[in-house]
Amino acid sequence: MRSPQGVRRSQRPPLLLVPPALIGVAFLVLPTVALLVRAPWSHLVSIYSHADSADGIDVAAAVRLSVLASLVTTGVAAVLGVPLAWLLARVRFPGRGLLRGAVTMPLVLPPVVGGLALLLAFGRRGLVGTWLYDTFGWSLSFTPTAVVLAQTFVAMPFLVVTLEGAFRSADVGLEEAAATLGARRTRVFTHVTLPLAVPSLISGMVLCWARALGEFGATMLFAGNVMDYTQTAPTGVLTAFQSSPEDAVALSLPMMLIAIVVLVALRERWLRGVAS
Amino acid sequence: MIDVDCRASNGSFVLEAALRVEPGEVTALLGPNGAGKSTLLRSIAGLQRIDAGHVAIGGVVVDDASTFVPAEERRVGVVFQDHRLFPHLRVLDNVAFGLRSRGVGRAEAHRIAREWLDRLGLADLARRRPAALSGGQGQRVALARALAAGPRALLLDEPLAALDIQTRAEVQGELRTHLREVEQPTVLVTHDPIEALLLADRVVVLESGRVAQEGSTADITRRPATPYVARMVGMNLFAGTASDGVVSLDGGGSLTVADAPTGRVLAAVRPSALTLHATEPHDTSARNRWAGRIAALAPLGDRIRVTVAGPPDTLVDVTAAAIADLGVAPGSEVWVSAKATEISAYPAPGLSTG
Repeated sequence: MRSPQGVRRSQRPPLLLVPPALIGVAFLVLPTVALLVRAPWSHLVSIYSHADSADGIDVAAAVRLSVLASLVTTGVAAVLGVPLAWLLARVRFPGRGLLRGAVTMPLVLPPVVGGLALLLAFGRRGLVGTWLYDTFGWSLSFTPTAVVLAQTFVAMPFLVVTLEGAFRSADVGLEEAAATLGARRTRVFTHVTLPLAVPSLISGMVLCWARALGEFGATMLFAGNVMDYTQTAPTGVLTAFQSSPEDAVALSLPMMLIAIVVLVALRERWLRGVAS
Repeated sequence: MIDVDCRASNGSFVLEAALRVEPGEVTALLGPNGAGKSTLLRSIAGLQRIDAGHVAIGGVVVDDASTFVPAEERRVGVVFQDHRLFPHLRVLDNVAFGLRSRGVGRAEAHRIAREWLDRLGLADLARRRPAALSGGQGQRVALARALAAGPRALLLDEPLAALDIQTRAEVQGELRTHLREVEQPTVLVTHDPIEALLLADRVVVLESGRVAQEGSTADITRRPATPYVARMVGMNLFAGTASDGVVSLDGGGSLTVADAPTGRVLAAVRPSALTLHATEPHDTSARNRWAGRIAALAPLGDRIRVTVAGPPDTLVDVTAAAIADLGVAPGSEVWVSAKATEISAYPAPGLSTG
């Protein structure tokens, strides 16, 4: 609880802090304002509804692929990331710290480097890619699948890290109670552990999805930027920027809208974080 | 039947205890915090492995050197102190959880769960979430949940400790009724002697990881084996060596007793069986009397409990009127007297009596 004195004290900041704080706010907010002010509001609909092959940009297709691929990414990340987070949180094994480091690596790795690494692993001549191509005839790089892989590589760690914390701090007592009632380990996980981690699962998925949606660097290198095929909203912004800046702004608007939605969705969680 | 004879550890703490509980019998596991009650309970439930010995439930060994049946296959119901109801499930689904885990269909599991809720007078709460229950209700639902799963043994880990005093008395009464009907062998862990006396048929006292005493509740109250047990049941307890009806106390002084075995003995006397005098009593038939100093006075029901520093140190229960008549206060010199027939002396168990 905050004491009345605490409130009063926090309301009177040292004057030295005020100017830099204001400059900081202006710096963070102005670009967003500029984007909104300069958006081609009058012919936005026509931009979204027709492809401009000459410029190599199809706004609608790029946004569609971005949304679709990021949703698939979130699904894949959940399917793989939930078990991974549980193992990291609950199972003691040699090299766990190292594994945790490896899993969170994409969080700090420049995405471009990630894309290059994906290419060297899953590209047609890559470490695993050669075998995949020779055995199944699969060529993953520079396909829509590669878009999903690139996004999963950079975004899944957000989900894993969020859920690992939840699994680690989960009430083991409830799992014990479930065991004494005859629930086997899988049932304990599906009926007790996971349902109780749903709030963290949701915020992990939202973070993952947001990160996937904004993915640029790894996508450029591993999936390329081919109109109507592997071009996403972020890579499309680069193409459009070179030919018709208006399209670039039009492409940016949906992503901004999504950013706002994510902020609102996560607000609850932030408040809780501050309170605890 | 629960049959345990094991060594189990928890960090550097080591428990070595044996316990047998017959079907339909309620055994209280009584002891101070850190005595090993929970370690023993967890060993029976299969939530931890024992280091040596065996645990058998209903004649089947579930834990020994070559066997370990995990909790989920033991069918041992546990009611935890903090009830541990699943917060995301309604009361009905909490109670049906054990049945569902064993593959009973949803409709059938719900039907049986409802029966249990009815039996424990909880039918109205079926649709609530645990967060909307009071502490007492939560504990009753936890009991229903444990019983509905059809356990072969029932363990209760300080089921009333987290409740406020008024709720505790209420749930205690109900629990007494319900435990009477339970057919399974039941172990009740508690650090409250009154709870043990009210709810259990037998008491096993654990101290520092060892069984300090076991017996019927009557045995325990009449012949406490350790200072802890004596304090718990409100008895004065002295250790000494007896010969020819006189016990020489370890802490100094001696007591004449009506009939005493020879050798190491414990002598127990109820605080209300002692009499307090302002001066040395000469007109009393009591064969024991000694001088002491009042260390403390505390109200105890309609009596006053007087702590008299000896030797031997004793608790004496007297009426407020007696204190007024004697005109004594903390620090006063007093005399204590006790009839030989009021002191029971019995062979000391082969245990340290502190």
